[in-house]
Amino acid sequence: MSVLETRSVSIRFGGVFANTDVSLKVGEWEIVGIIGPNGAGKTTAFNIVTGFYRPNSGRVLFKGRDVTDLPVHQRTALGMGRTFQNVGLVKGSTVRENLVSAQYLESDYSVLAGMLGSPRTFVAERGLRRKADAVAELMGLGDILDTQVVGLPYGVLKRVEIATVLATDPDLVLLDEPSSGMGPEEAHELGDTLLELRRELGISIAMIEHHVPLVVRVCDYVYCLNFGQMLAEGLPDEVRNHPQVVTAYLGEEAENPEIAGAEKQLESLLDSE
Amino acid sequence: MERLRERQGEAITAAILAGLVLVLLVTGEKQSLVIGTITGAAYGFVALGLVLIYKSSGVFNFAQGEFGTVAVYTLYLLDFDVPYGIALLGALAVAVVFGVVVERVVVRPLFDAPRVTLLVATAGVALLSIAVQVWFGEATARPVDRALPTLDRVTLLDVQISDQRILLLVALGVLAALLAVFFNKTNLGLAILGASQEPTATELMGISVKRLSTLTWAIAALLGGIAGVLAVPETGGFAPGILTSSFLIPAFTAAVIGGMTSLPGAFLGGVIIGVIEAVAASAPVFEDLPGSPGTLLVFIALIIVLTARPQGLLGKAG
Amino acid sequence: MATTVERDRPGGDDRPGAAAASGTEPGVRARFTPSPLGWAARGVAWVALAWLVLVFPLSREGFELQRFSQAVIYGIIGLSLNVLLGYVGQISLGHQAFVGIGAFTSAYIVTEQNLSFWAGVGAGVAVGGLQALVLGGVSLRITGLYFALVTLSYGLVAEQNVFQIEELTGGGQGQPAPKPSGFESDWRYYYLCLAFLAIVLWVDWRMMRTKAGRALLALRENPRVASTFGINVKVLTLLAFVVSGAFAGLGGALLAHNDTFVSPETWSFNLALVFVIMTVVGGLRSRAGVVIGSAFFALIGYLLQKFPALQDGLNAIPGAPDLSREIAPLVIGPILLLVTLTLFPGGIGQQIRPIVGWLRGRRFDLRDRGPKEVQITDVRA
Repeated sequence: MSVLETRSVSIRFGGVFANTDVSLKVGEWEIVGIIGPNGAGKTTAFNIVTGFYRPNSGRVLFKGRDVTDLPVHQRTALGMGRTFQNVGLVKGSTVRENLVSAQYLESDYSVLAGMLGSPRTFVAERGLRRKADAVAELMGLGDILDTQVVGLPYGVLKRVEIATVLATDPDLVLLDEPSSGMGPEEAHELGDTLLELRRELGISIAMIEHHVPLVVRVCDYVYCLNFGQMLAEGLPDEVRNHPQVVTAYLGEEAENPEIAGAEKQLESLLDSE
Repeated sequence: MERLRERQGEAITAAILAGLVLVLLVTGEKQSLVIGTITGAAYGFVALGLVLIYKSSGVFNFAQGEFGTVAVYTLYLLDFDVPYGIALLGALAVAVVFGVVVERVVVRPLFDAPRVTLLVATAGVALLSIAVQVWFGEATARPVDRALPTLDRVTLLDVQISDQRILLLVALGVLAALLAVFFNKTNLGLAILGASQEPTATELMGISVKRLSTLTWAIAALLGGIAGVLAVPETGGFAPGILTSSFLIPAFTAAVIGGMTSLPGAFLGGVIIGVIEAVAASAPVFEDLPGSPGTLLVFIALIIVLTARPQGLLGKAG
Repeated sequence: MATTVERDRPGGDDRPGAAAASGTEPGVRARFTPSPLGWAARGVAWVALAWLVLVFPLSREGFELQRFSQAVIYGIIGLSLNVLLGYVGQISLGHQAFVGIGAFTSAYIVTEQNLSFWAGVGAGVAVGGLQALVLGGVSLRITGLYFALVTLSYGLVAEQNVFQIEELTGGGQGQPAPKPSGFESDWRYYYLCLAFLAIVLWVDWRMMRTKAGRALLALRENPRVASTFGINVKVLTLLAFVVSGAFAGLGGALLAHNDTFVSPETWSFNLALVFVIMTVVGGLRSRAGVVIGSAFFALIGYLLQKFPALQDGLNAIPGAPDLSREIAPLVIGPILLLVTLTLFPGGIGQQIRPIVGWLRGRRFDLRDRGPKEVQITDVRA
């Protein structure tokens, strides 16, 4: 059974068809990549999967259950976690506070009990902090637990964000461009981390990515979107050599000079790793 | 799509206005119609200033009423010593200076702060202004002269309309038209609007966003001042903070009803609120409401507009 | 393969900000403990504070004690507004209505229904929480600046319509609200108010230290992220409103019985601004600051009376008439507000952080200014 499945999901914003008939699957313990030029509708697909948008048509199934109409926080409760393109953290808090906040659903006491300060809440709070520390250690963040998030470098922030997602005890993690802002060495380490997380924690991962070597290395399956539609899918090698995929990146780059990244990707597409 | 919405807004407005007039004529509330339109014009004046500042900097200016009160106060003081016309000009000048000072001392430092912070800050300015008035003056009401003394120039539907009131209406109409032209046609006006949406681009074009801000507040203060000196003499007297206590909330509601981004909307909203209040005060059906029925009805109008059509009658959606 | 776990550097210590971010050198993270002299000094300070709050007022006469009780109650009200303004980030310009409703409810319950003070207070808390819940529901649909207008209008309706209803409030005459039996003397009532303040402080503290508080801070800054943490943003917002309203209703009930009388004129827009000013000047999200700020504003008139030197100082402004005791707060308040907003955004709370830190056994650090305030994404009005 797949952990995540979208069936013919479509969404329209005014006259823009952001997603049309997008169907994808993430199997248990799979790492799935979602690639495509900028503006292809990848983040839109994520937003639909996680509940920030309701699709105009199509269904989203999570662990076999139809979650299309569930609000975001309920999907988190079911085991879905995600990161954001511009880093979704509580910037005014410290790293540890973020990790503890992310365990909102794990806390062993009710909101009311928390407000009244029963002894149980003190014990539970200590437990939350211990777990926060453990997750931080896992991601190599042990030194900065007491640092306010707002001052940290971008690459570190991305790892903090992944840590907070892990703190929600997810079964499926949706990463939106986790390697953005990272150089090749850091991206390689990220790949290591993702593989290790999959192995140690048994999570499934879906990631939007532009960094092709990373995708080729860690993904079991890849989907390519363009103009909101599924362009190609398959094993990483198949997809990256797929003629239409190559054209999509080429064409985009010619029209849209912002996609400097696409140029780099074209080079790595044509090189062999 | 936009055009359709605008048409829709205009159609709804026309329908509401026609409906209101019909209801009032039918129920014998003709006087409310006239009185309401006149007081509404004053609200519209204050609302114009509110919309102006909102359009250009996204701020809800709680001190707008005080621009008027300060002007009236100055008029009152000067009227003893100098001819009325000069006193009037002096009053408006003081209002403009006040506006510029507020912009420099309060708005500039908080340029990038959340809009809510600025709201609280302007509320603080209003309170300070009122406190100073109480401090230096008295807490009692004092009468102030009208610009034009004739009280019964026209009698419409059994209501005496003084020259002053006609002046108010005419001034409002003229100013609303001028502002509309200013903002839609002149470079300066367009720049003011552009500055709030794209401050960086404006700076790059060589226009000082800061200068624009000062100018905007000066204009808004002038509008507030005019509202004060024209409207308050009709109300019989003025007390500290009169424009804030009596005019500001209705003016805000008027701006919301008209659409916070629409200058003609402010005028229209003002008239609607004025009529609602007049009806609330005189219609027998509201007699048994505890306290002041106008307050309650204005509140209900606010809620209805914000939940049913948040952009107001003539404002832009989103 | 297991390099990720063994890494001991967060992304490389040659990265700018990494060393600064951790604050101290790795491994040299010793906790500061004060010397015996330091402990003694702190002990003396705590005792002095306790004396000021618990003992000193008893030496005063009845009327002064009423002022002190009012200061304590204003502390409760400030804390209630701080929940909305500081924790949720919602502006309320009608908070006097929340408080007034608690006051009239309690007075009504005790005088008209002949129930006990405790029932009155309980009712005040419940009604305060309930109407806050309704307003909270409105806030979910109407954003930021417009909601401020709604609260303002709501406050006016409360003052001019609701509080004029004869059956509930004695019409314009006002409603008596006797002191509870067993607490008739002023000093006992003062202690009662202190006890309630302690309860409010406790609940506020526990709330912010547990999941609800963290959820509020997250959703105030970034509601999308809060949702992904599993937080039901709507429910938490409503909860915060209820807590704020409950505290306000409590404050109102206590005020009513402190003055032994409630009248509609008290609850004007002016009072709403006073509440906002005392909370903002006190310092958002700082309990100590808010309580001090609120107490200060409650006591300005009293202080001017007690210390004529202050009054003389205020009167010495050249060219201006005397600044009477009634008018002084009206003038001082907004000036302090504007100074706070433009120059010292953290208010009193931010300024006393070094002192509070010292009292709690940390080193006295003049540069401790608290967490850097992140610019909250502007609410689309």
